[in-house]
Amino acid sequence: MRGPLIRGNGWKWLLCAPALTVLLLAASGPLLIVLVYSFLSPGNMGGVVWEFSTEGWFRVFFRRDIFEPDLVTLNHAHLTVFWRSIWLSFQTTLICALLGFPTAWFIATRPPNTRTVWLFLITIPFWTNLLIRTFAIQEVIRNNGTINTVLLRLGVIDSPIQMMFTDFAVLLGMAYVFLPLMVLPLYAAMDKMDFRLVEAGYDLYASRLMVLWHVILPQVKPGFIAGSILVFIPAIGAYVTPRVLGGGRTMMLGNLIALQFGQGRNWPLGAALAMLMLIVVVGALIVYLRALGRMEGERRG
Amino acid sequence: MAEKSYSVRRIPGFGAVAVFTFAMLYLPIVILVLFSFNAGPSQSVWEGFSLHWYEAAFQNRQVRDVSIRSLWLAATAASIATVLATLAALGTTRGGRFPGQTIIYALINQPLMVPEIVTGIALLIFVAAIKVQTGYTGMGYLVMAHTAFCIPFAYLPIRARLETLDAALESAAADLYASPVQAFVHITLPLLVPGIVAGFMLGFVISLDTVVITEFVKSAGQDTLPTYMLGQLRRTVTPEMNAIATLFLALSLLIVTAFFLVTRTRGR
Amino acid sequence: MDATDKGEIHIAGVNKVFGQGASAFHALTGIDLTIATGEFFTLLGPSGCGKTTLLRVIAGFEQPTSGSLRINGAEMAGLGPNRRPVNTVFQSYALFPHMTVAQNIGFGLKMLGKSRSEIEATTSDMLRLVRMEALAERRPSEISGGQQQRVALARALAPRPRVLLLDEPLSALDLKLRKEMQSELKRLQTETGITFVFVTHDQEEALTMSDRIAVMSAGRILQLGAPTDIYNAPVNRFVADFIGETNFLVLPVAQTGGAVARLTLPGGNCAEARLPEGMTPVTGTTVTAVIRPEQAAIVAPETGDLTARVESAVFFGTDTHLHLTLADGQPFVLRRQNRPDQQPPEPGAMLGLSLASGALRVLED
Repeated sequence: MRGPLIRGNGWKWLLCAPALTVLLLAASGPLLIVLVYSFLSPGNMGGVVWEFSTEGWFRVFFRRDIFEPDLVTLNHAHLTVFWRSIWLSFQTTLICALLGFPTAWFIATRPPNTRTVWLFLITIPFWTNLLIRTFAIQEVIRNNGTINTVLLRLGVIDSPIQMMFTDFAVLLGMAYVFLPLMVLPLYAAMDKMDFRLVEAGYDLYASRLMVLWHVILPQVKPGFIAGSILVFIPAIGAYVTPRVLGGGRTMMLGNLIALQFGQGRNWPLGAALAMLMLIVVVGALIVYLRALGRMEGERRG
Repeated sequence: MAEKSYSVRRIPGFGAVAVFTFAMLYLPIVILVLFSFNAGPSQSVWEGFSLHWYEAAFQNRQVRDVSIRSLWLAATAASIATVLATLAALGTTRGGRFPGQTIIYALINQPLMVPEIVTGIALLIFVAAIKVQTGYTGMGYLVMAHTAFCIPFAYLPIRARLETLDAALESAAADLYASPVQAFVHITLPLLVPGIVAGFMLGFVISLDTVVITEFVKSAGQDTLPTYMLGQLRRTVTPEMNAIATLFLALSLLIVTAFFLVTRTRGR
Repeated sequence: MDATDKGEIHIAGVNKVFGQGASAFHALTGIDLTIATGEFFTLLGPSGCGKTTLLRVIAGFEQPTSGSLRINGAEMAGLGPNRRPVNTVFQSYALFPHMTVAQNIGFGLKMLGKSRSEIEATTSDMLRLVRMEALAERRPSEISGGQQQRVALARALAPRPRVLLLDEPLSALDLKLRKEMQSELKRLQTETGITFVFVTHDQEEALTMSDRIAVMSAGRILQLGAPTDIYNAPVNRFVADFIGETNFLVLPVAQTGGAVARLTLPGGNCAEARLPEGMTPVTGTTVTAVIRPEQAAIVAPETGDLTARVESAVFFGTDTHLHLTLADGQPFVLRRQNRPDQQPPEPGAMLGLSLASGALRVLED
């Protein structure tokens, strides 16, 4: 449509307008409201009172003594949750990378016709319901779940191993749920890789390990970084998996936020926590984009 | 013979890890499906084959209600999102770069980048405020929220399809006396169909899967299948849940397979 | 209507500028051109010279920044491509992938609102014209590149345009197919009597097919004329260099008179060279003269116009290129037709060269 139907770029905005309206109303707009709410005072039964306050942000990190409001201490409960969120997300990313790299390599080195099948097998879990997959893991690790039943029957253990409601359960669940997000970008990077370089490496007397380290890894690095970001960001934001597998004692940041809008009922604190999560996620994205830019610079230089 | 030769693509141990990974991915799902056919009430002790739990699921009125609501919501949100995404894709891929394009990209992709829990509570706050003002408590909020969430997913395959579309085809149509509208109807739209179908299917699956946003936006009595399941998981569950999950899984599988087939025949 | 309006296409003072300010790019500058009805007209030039932009201006895909364009006497300004009596054969063919060959060919007529029977009749005429009757129900992806090319031609010819525009239509074909299509295009043009405006960067293609050629560079038309004029009398260094092979010789002027000048050749002999219109170089200054490699003949040493030393001989099948050095060190390439009884001269041998009369021309710049 090169014809000057409508002069200039106005028609482009016109075509985008309906989608942008919905997105502004149901995605971007509400985020701004969260930002505003984080600077208001909490209402009695949830909600907010329209009075400016930094108390919400203050309570993210600190707590006040009930009887002496001036006695300020670090909020250890919150800090524990932050630490757990970051630590579990980091471990999830690491596990996904360790399992994902060989898996992606395996797929990338299949003959082209079977490769599609393997790729499809990785993609299916990616598109099936996260809740159902979490439920499936729950079935396996419950006290009367598959693992414990089998071990009890075999006589390996006398009483069930408690796996549910532990950090381990959350870690297992997240690794299970987010693994395809690591495999897919790694595969994409390997698919683009020039295998003649691997041959050249062997030709120049490199061992398998040396080729892996000096030839293959540098080439799939962008895939690694993309995969790590794709796993880390939803892991930091996880809500369903820790809620189902972790329960009340192994809360993550997402559950702490939700709590402020449920029984805890401190909306400004919840809003501030949500903004904190957003900052972490955007920070991770910026680190990713920087790394990407640096790699492109290296390639050009 | 080929196996004996020195393959540069083989790294010892990687095959074993890959097999382990695939087993880990599929074993829990296989167990889940298997025990949906269990005759007894246990999800770990096999007591014989039975369709009993499927029967129970079908007779469970609540399950029927939430399933229908989920499907209706997914169909509605995905349809609206597909139309809006198609328009936006046409606006952003036709006629070169323009000022403000980055802002539009950022807005469209925003639901992909912001954690669902943040979007969820943001919508909770927003919807609560509107409810107080208007008193409206219908499905409109969920439709709106799901539509916004589906737009980036519907947008991706449509834009990808538009970008591979040769701009010379539209020029050729114009050269052969087609008006801009005729060129769109006879050339662009038919060639865009695989992208649009793929976009709709992605949107549909995403809406079906969405649990966090629904959980925070829904009013009383507006449970969808995922939020219903989330609520049930707290209790001791019977294989009825497995049966529901299996059916749900089968539906997703069907759509994903169709999606693969549609996107693979795009070469035509 | 004044006299200049008699042509099919009349272009006057057309400029096309992309962008604005410091980053503005002048794609076309001061184009004046009249293309006659039924002419096979070629726009020739290297990539980026503006030839495709000019074609797109005629087709209506680009609006000129200034100037006027008339087709068959009617002003085209502001008319979209769908309202101009011209059709285009695109470089990539741009066949509609979701339609059959027959549907592709009938598309223009359908958009013009012709009756079904007329569309069917014209489509089968066109299929016969390009010899594609057997493949009418195939999709573009199911036929070869050469066949796609024929379909693209048939599709553009079906609405019986007054002018057919061809944007490097043969560039995607291999050499043998390209030769075939060149004669095919020429046949179609003669049979239909439609004005062809052909864009190419291939000088040989342009020379063999065209009635007239416009050589373009940097958005301007440098020379306009029949293939023989352009080959034999290039107006400047660019045209001389772009069309065919040329020897450039820098020579002092010995004497001028009328349309010719006597130039002093290396070695001391003088030769007559034709001058471009309106140029009278001052005696004693140097000018650049050109001569084609095949317009000099080998004679016994010391008997011709020039003496040259052989540097190397390159065998080309039909002929041999001799790379020579003249007495003052200037290089000279000579092309000699091969005969079975001839041996190429050894490097270092001395030859006499005799220049064909009228072969030497002085360039403007």
